Amino acid sequence: MTAIPNNTSPARLAGAAILALLAALALFGPLLVPGDPFGQSLVKSLGGPDAAAPLGYDHLGRSLFHRLAHALRLSPAIALGAVATAGAAGLILGTWAAAQGGWVDRILATLADALLALPGLLLVLIVLAIMPGTAFGFWAGLSLVLWVEFFRLTRATSRAVLASPAVEAAQLLGFGWPYIFRTHLWPEIAPVMLTAAAFGTATAIMAIAALGFVSVGMRAPTPELGLMMVELLPYWREAPSALLTPVIATFALLMGLTLLAGSRET
Amino acid sequence: MTILLNRLVQAAMVAIIVGVSTFAMMRALPGDAAYRIAAGRYGYDNVTAAAADAVRAELGLDAHWFPALLQWLGDLVRLDFGVSLVSGQPVMQEIVHQLGASLWLALAAVGLSLLMGPPLGILAGLRPGGLLDRVLLVVSTGLKSIPQFLMALILILSVQMGWLPAAGYGQSRHFILPALALALGLAAVNARITRDAMARITEMPFYRFAGWKGLRHGQVLRRHGLRNVAVPLLTYLGLQFVTLIEGVVVIETIVGWPGIGHALVHAVFARDVPMVQGTALVLGLGFVLINTVIDLTVRRIDPRGRT
Amino acid sequence: MSKPLPALSRLLLAAAISVTLGTPMLAQNNATLSVVAPFEVLSPEPSIAGYIFTRMGIAETLVNADAEGRLLPGLATDWTASEDGLSWRFTLRDGVVFHDGTALTPAAVINALETARAKPGPLGDLPITAMEADGNTVVMTLSEPRAALPAFLAEARAQILAPDAYGADGMATAMIGTGPYQLTDLSPPLSLRASVFAPYWGDAPHVGNVTYAAVGRAETRALMAESGDDDFVFTLDPASVTRLGNSDAVEVLSVAIPRTLLLKVNAAHPFLSDIGARQALSLAIDRAGIAQAILRYPEGADQLFPPAIGAWHNEDVAPLTYDVAAAQALLADLGWTPGNDGVLMRDGERFALTLLTYPDRPELPLVAAVLEQQLRAVGIDVTINSTNSSEIPAGHQNGTLEIALLARNFALIPDPIGTVLSDFAPVGDWGAMGWDNAEIVELAQALARGEGDDADRARVTAILQEELPIIPIAWYQQTLAVAAGIEGATIDPWERTFGLQDLRKPE
Repeated sequence: MTAIPNNTSPARLAGAAILALLAALALFGPLLVPGDPFGQSLVKSLGGPDAAAPLGYDHLGRSLFHRLAHALRLSPAIALGAVATAGAAGLILGTWAAAQGGWVDRILATLADALLALPGLLLVLIVLAIMPGTAFGFWAGLSLVLWVEFFRLTRATSRAVLASPAVEAAQLLGFGWPYIFRTHLWPEIAPVMLTAAAFGTATAIMAIAALGFVSVGMRAPTPELGLMMVELLPYWREAPSALLTPVIATFALLMGLTLLAGSRET
Repeated sequence: MTILLNRLVQAAMVAIIVGVSTFAMMRALPGDAAYRIAAGRYGYDNVTAAAADAVRAELGLDAHWFPALLQWLGDLVRLDFGVSLVSGQPVMQEIVHQLGASLWLALAAVGLSLLMGPPLGILAGLRPGGLLDRVLLVVSTGLKSIPQFLMALILILSVQMGWLPAAGYGQSRHFILPALALALGLAAVNARITRDAMARITEMPFYRFAGWKGLRHGQVLRRHGLRNVAVPLLTYLGLQFVTLIEGVVVIETIVGWPGIGHALVHAVFARDVPMVQGTALVLGLGFVLINTVIDLTVRRIDPRGRT
Repeated sequence: MSKPLPALSRLLLAAAISVTLGTPMLAQNNATLSVVAPFEVLSPEPSIAGYIFTRMGIAETLVNADAEGRLLPGLATDWTASEDGLSWRFTLRDGVVFHDGTALTPAAVINALETARAKPGPLGDLPITAMEADGNTVVMTLSEPRAALPAFLAEARAQILAPDAYGADGMATAMIGTGPYQLTDLSPPLSLRASVFAPYWGDAPHVGNVTYAAVGRAETRALMAESGDDDFVFTLDPASVTRLGNSDAVEVLSVAIPRTLLLKVNAAHPFLSDIGARQALSLAIDRAGIAQAILRYPEGADQLFPPAIGAWHNEDVAPLTYDVAAAQALLADLGWTPGNDGVLMRDGERFALTLLTYPDRPELPLVAAVLEQQLRAVGIDVTINSTNSSEIPAGHQNGTLEIALLARNFALIPDPIGTVLSDFAPVGDWGAMGWDNAEIVELAQALARGEGDDADRARVTAILQEELPIIPIAWYQQTLAVAAGIEGATIDPWERTFGLQDLRKPE
């Protein structure tokens, strides 16, 4: 675990560029072309692009451009929130388990193992059923699923590092936990965490879109990528470009994240 | 033995998590569970207060939560999954019915992915940096970025020529589309895994030596290559089982496949908690079982890992 | 001139075979007709999935109905009521056998109906006090007259199954009906198969085998129809109707059915208790726009019942119209003034409502999204809650429901009086809420007893049009895609049967 992944490989740069483009579209697009993702005009139903709607209109005559921009804010926001929560929880529990050992370690590892055996979508579905509010439910459910990966990575890395002579020496010299974490643990964990975070974000976005697509995720009229696809699917022959809009956006988003993550040691 | 013991603990933990979380789901349902169940059972035209009251009386939904939880877990220990709230059929019976359909789909998908991925991966790995290797890298990165539901959507729309049914169940040709939708993503990853393993092995002294000692190319590959490629591939397949199951859940819902994933989504939607518990448990324990088998197989192939 | 010969020789061959086998002249062939519909076939229990078995021609009821809703003999050949309407006699058809070979007897009929009455449903609400056998007739005694009784017996949940079909708890565990098709395989929740039942009492079907597959997603169903792989695909989404209409592989049929897309309104809600407020809501709705853009029907509903339901369609009421200015004027009269964000305010309260709907019917969330915008245009802020369908009766019961968008079926029995009685006399889980109109209760009860006439029905619809306890938006059309080569397909507006026994499919 000493080799730091090359942060500037062309693939990673390409991934970051795609994500930056999508983020710009989501954040600044509606500023350049003002419009309402919910505003309807039935006469423009499935109409082609015009100045107010650069990507044309959906089946209710809502601007696809603005719906897409909002969808590209929503899923990544939930995903990043879940990844941040899961990452923090995984980091804290992982280092705790590695440092403490014994029962704490065993219980946490068993719990993580058991969660790993359950399909993530299933857990998200159950949490969605329990929690009020879909976005909140997604955040909670995805955090519950994603922390395991961060926990396992942190725990494995921390164990190796904490057993190293350098850390033992530091402890003997009386350096406190914050110091050891900052100088010894974090530099080892950080690069792995970035990869795991990118994969986690991709997983979360896929889950939100997949559940939206099978109509158990976000609810209409919220603009969400999977939901937009399933809404536009019946019109695929009349307006194929309308359906392609969320499809291409989802693909680009996931592609960007996959490239950013780089190759993972399996 | 430690493998078995660890897996046994994992299985017990899975059962507890599923049991408690589905019980919580039953109790914490937003809205009135009796109404939800009545809607699932009688359909939206016929769900009325009278129907909900009948359901409430039948299921004892007003009982206190703690004894109910104990009874719930007790039933679980006795492997009594109860009766589907919606159809009234025993959960076990329904799951046995649906598991078959899902297993066939999953097997078809894995089989298809193994036919596509590893052969390409081996060819690419034999000549790292070659044309095939580079094409494979681009294609597999692309395929990995396509969620399974999107793959299904793309396939459904692209087979509108009429030579493949878009959905349905019962004939072998109904397998092609959903299995392919699942298999392409799996193949993308297992091609990469095979390629990396193969490339590593061709670099190793023993492999080169085998070539020098006069074995022909095919012989070297069969004797030394495949066995070493199989280990990471198998381990990966075990881990990917969860992804496969998730894919099965989504794909079944899209193409109307009467499997366990379809049942799960419907059970969640109709708040048929015994069915949710039963399907979740079968999926989780299935994962543990498959990984146990894989652990044992890997140890047979690769004795080095033994402790 | 060589064409007629093979057909003729096949006919002769079939005749020869049937003569040698000693069976009646069978017109049926060995083809398999595949039916696809959205409804899951969860179990053989009539109260859960009974309608699928009657539609597939597997189970039957005492009474049938034609496309106009006129009652026809089914397992009962005729029925009569006593002078006071309290005693009904249903004469059973002779020579009917169940699929298990046992004969249809009055005892079996009474057993099936008593079992059905013990479960929730319209049958249980009937004022029946006793059922007994008298020779080959079943005698039902009522505590009060109910003219529509035969119509209630035409409903799928009143289907007659053999005594052995029911388990100890009264739930059916096997499907043992009397229909032209006999169940050969049931794989809940998605499929079943059936084949011709040779000893059927009526005309034998033409097609030998039928299969049923439940496919929940409208888009998938449309794709299945388009591929030509399935013969009979029921319920299509509006966009697919347009698309399939241009295809040579299928024929699309559609018919107006007694199901209305409507807005359920809580008339006890402080914002909505005034008739003027409900009228304003109605005036704010662009029905033609919704019908054309989303449902792709030529027109919206200007009253509750469509013209196809002759007895209940009222030509004389003033049609519901779309007039934003009039809606705004009515709301202004009620003391509402626009706030800073354009939403109406009164006494410090915003005119904000939550609209419940359910995604089981794919058009509902779409219409809800359009309604949100149209009501916003008159200053009403609507939040859509697309949730489980059961939230509507639950919200009705606990009083939290404000407005709800739903598709109400007035043909649960082939006589709308059943639904009118349960929904508007005076309130109902899926009908009026917080509304009290003594006149309509009296009229509906009289009509149910069999006392009223067309003028009373007209008065009922006029009251609903004036007071708007529910606001009609569109009349539904049922749609069906039939593969090319299938002959004789029709849609039953009362949704009792798929009419499979009349279909012809080349082998």
